[in-house]
Amino acid sequence: MMQHSTGNSNGLMSTSTTNNNNNANNGQSNGSLKAYFKTPEGRYKLQYEKTHPPGLLHYAHGKTVTQVTIAYLKEKSAQLPLTPTSSSSSTSSGGGGVRSAAARLLGSANGSRALSFVGGNGTSKAGSGFNPYSHNRINSSSGGSSASNMLSSSNFDGKGTYLIFNVGDTIYISDYSSQDKDPIKSIHFSTSNPVCHAFDPEAKDGHDLVIGLNSGDVYSVSLRQQLQDVGKKLVGAQHYNKDCSVNSRQAFEQKPSQNWLEKDRYNHHVVLAELDEQDLHRSGVIELLEMGYRSRCASVAWVPEGDGAFIVAHADGNLYVYEKSKDGSGDSSFPVIKDQTQFSVAHAKSSKSNPIARWHICQGSINSISFSTDGTYLATVGRDGYLRVFDYLKEQLICGGKSYYGALLCCAWSMDGKYILTGGEDDLVQVWSMDDRKVVAWGEGHNSWVSGVAFDSYWTSPTSDGTEENVMYRFGSVGQDTQLLLWDLVMDELVVPLRRGPPGGSPTFSTGSQSSHWDNICPVGTLQPAPSMRDVPKLSPLVAHRVHNEPLSGLVFTQESVLTACREGHVKIWMRPGYGESHSGNSESALISSSKEKPLILNKVGSSSYKQQSISHPT
Amino acid sequence: MGAAGSKLEKALGDQFPEGERYFGLENFGNTCYCNSVLQALYFCVPFREQLLDYYTNNKTTGDVEENLLTCLADLFTQISSQKKKTGVIAPKRFVQRVKKQNELFRSYMHQDAHEFLNFLLNELVDILEKESNAAKSSPDASSSPEKIANGPKIPLSNGVQKEPLVTWVHKNFQGILTNETRCLRCETVTARDETFLDLSLDIEQNSSITSCLKNFSSTETLNAEDKFFCDKCCSLQEAQKRMKIKKPPHILVIHLKRFKYIEQLGRYKKLSYRVVFPLELKLSNTVDDADSEYSLFAVVVHVGSGPNHGHYVSLVKSHNHWLFFDDENVEMIDESAVQTFFGSSQEYSSNTDHGYILFYESLATSSKS
Repeated sequence: MMQHSTGNSNGLMSTSTTNNNNNANNGQSNGSLKAYFKTPEGRYKLQYEKTHPPGLLHYAHGKTVTQVTIAYLKEKSAQLPLTPTSSSSSTSSGGGGVRSAAARLLGSANGSRALSFVGGNGTSKAGSGFNPYSHNRINSSSGGSSASNMLSSSNFDGKGTYLIFNVGDTIYISDYSSQDKDPIKSIHFSTSNPVCHAFDPEAKDGHDLVIGLNSGDVYSVSLRQQLQDVGKKLVGAQHYNKDCSVNSRQAFEQKPSQNWLEKDRYNHHVVLAELDEQDLHRSGVIELLEMGYRSRCASVAWVPEGDGAFIVAHADGNLYVYEKSKDGSGDSSFPVIKDQTQFSVAHAKSSKSNPIARWHICQGSINSISFSTDGTYLATVGRDGYLRVFDYLKEQLICGGKSYYGALLCCAWSMDGKYILTGGEDDLVQVWSMDDRKVVAWGEGHNSWVSGVAFDSYWTSPTSDGTEENVMYRFGSVGQDTQLLLWDLVMDELVVPLRRGPPGGSPTFSTGSQSSHWDNICPVGTLQPAPSMRDVPKLSPLVAHRVHNEPLSGLVFTQESVLTACREGHVKIWMRPGYGESHSGNSESALISSSKEKPLILNKVGSSSYKQQSISHPT
Repeated sequence: MGAAGSKLEKALGDQFPEGERYFGLENFGNTCYCNSVLQALYFCVPFREQLLDYYTNNKTTGDVEENLLTCLADLFTQISSQKKKTGVIAPKRFVQRVKKQNELFRSYMHQDAHEFLNFLLNELVDILEKESNAAKSSPDASSSPEKIANGPKIPLSNGVQKEPLVTWVHKNFQGILTNETRCLRCETVTARDETFLDLSLDIEQNSSITSCLKNFSSTETLNAEDKFFCDKCCSLQEAQKRMKIKKPPHILVIHLKRFKYIEQLGRYKKLSYRVVFPLELKLSNTVDDADSEYSLFAVVVHVGSGPNHGHYVSLVKSHNHWLFFDDENVEMIDESAVQTFFGSSQEYSSNTDHGYILFYESLATSSKS
């Protein structure tokens, strides 16, 4: 049983109280959802819920879909994190001696709706952090509290785990480890809706959060700096693709395509709202606005080991490479795309340009992009239903293939880079093998479109003895059917026609060594047509659980939990078996350091607890 | 009206498809059910072309008595022969004919668009069959005999049909379902074929068309009071029954059963469920696993919270652009706007625009002219 803090009325642990508290939030009033789900290794329990402040009515609700990003802020000082004591004493601590620049004052203990920031040391540059207290502690000191009061009760330095999610025109940041349902920070975008974001855990300094907007604008910021600031605007942001200069140039040079007319019945107010921001002397921009052309951002990603490079994928089928260290003021024109149907890469003519490159991927929107863990490969999925895998440094299309039918909406890599999951409008979860360069399994189980997929890299097979022989993967998927599905992928059990040998070899195999093997079947750089239903082995889910009342939009695995997000901006944190009572404060650094290793080596703590659970909860 | 037309023309610019006309249809008091279906049918290109072909071929044979078919053909001709590219047309004669023909549609009450589509297609088939019979009896046959001679591609093996006359309406919309029943005692499979012009699907909250189709074809066990009379066992037996698509139609019309009779209330209720429909679809519940692929080209949308009132509009894909038809008004919309018509995942929502009838065209080229 999970601990409640004294007088806690958030009641996240039980269905009934959850519902009582959620009545203000639309879509959460249905009482049939369970606060746990069973797996062979034990129960996953609903630990926390995070959402936007209640009563919030977004004019654009439903128009933009909530995405969730998890961010681990490392501590700045060298001190080790302390072991958390209990849930009521809150989460992360450690790193004494660093000043807290902002503190939170909560209106009341149970409602915690009114939240604002007091204390104005926003100018502090010494990596000072934000303080995620549990609310009752704050409440105890809230009467006439001052920043210094807060400081005395905290030695927090900004290290912690945060959830970043977008709803309507706002980015919310929640403290992952606190019971508070409400976010600790909201950032409003007056001109357009934020639609995608990515956090760079490897960022050594400077900006680590990149945000893409529906308007096509892109911002990079420091998450820590946002948490320190008391306002509701982005601070210290670098603005890219301002006025959509990148897209507009392209649009002017290019013959109008379907995307010109992207428009109007639903976007018009966005365009109008941004008019006053425009530099009206740039006649091209005015003309552009009249055309109503905006290419919205669809997905953003930091390049692993990319030295601050990040990629923004747009709805017009292009993706752009930016460098955060560079100012974006240079000339950023790119040559006309000669053939819209062909993949092409263009580098900026000017060395001052930011973006530095444009990749034309496909016709129609790119819906999601994902880098393999080591950054060697970039996968894209889009409206045309194709998964494409590129060698990022060589800027080459390696392989890819079509969905059964309809657009693909999401994609994710296995930690070892051998498999890619995709999900889309055919209701299927597709497993793509990099060794085989084709689809090796279709997961059937969703009753609607698959909107999020992820490998559970923290999971190890309970039967695994550490040898590589019986390779097994756990992955999850979420769909618009409001379900979370968990799957086991055991390669030996799949009957894969045309497979050549066991899936072995290095995860970063060079394409040259394998291509000779496959040249006659699938040469490098070719895309496979949609397979026939009877030709692909099928998987069935291990667990299917309805987790929200709204269609789901996101799925994240952390060491101790599974996060699910729905389109309307509710996030649920499901603790893994054995993790229910503990807190995450002590695991973050392990989590970060291990995030780049192979799943089998990962987190021995986690694996042993699974073994225990699978014995005590035989399901 | 004129301004709206020019706005659409401006939006399309030099992308305006050659020879295409985008005309709104005037509403004569709750005739939006009719207008929305007419637009979907007009932009069902093989249907439109064959109707116009048929009409031009038949007009020469002298004065045909006015019927629903001639009225529809007149209307389509009227639209396609407009000098202007956009504007508004009053489908007066057609609507009058509909009201004359069927008392159901005579009142000014809100009508069901699916019922209307059903009525219209069946009426067209009847007229064509009558003409064909008349032509057979009189030797100077005029009504496109070559089309009849082509016959159905797949002969109906255990023919329930009284006659295998396949009109061009059939060729576009007709598919064949096979109802397979397997006796659980003797394992004999009995298959019974039936034709359909559209598929009516039960819907569930937060589901997809794919899932609804799967449920439609899912295996059902006949037992207890609902046993199956097996001819081989000569007795009532438990059996398993499932529906499969034996011949997928060229134009797949899917009707979402959004109006459900609630017994406790004694009336129909609208289900505003969110049912997502992809722009491309494959039928996997076919007999021969053919994976035939379809592309969405029209959606009739019901607007409103109840079954007895509201409004119908339609979304139409023409030459790779999506258009929004709301009686007189025609607008361009982005493809991504189609998803705002999926329905609502909450029971009470301000969004009451829900996809009701979906029109998919097969990508396999067959009866395209």
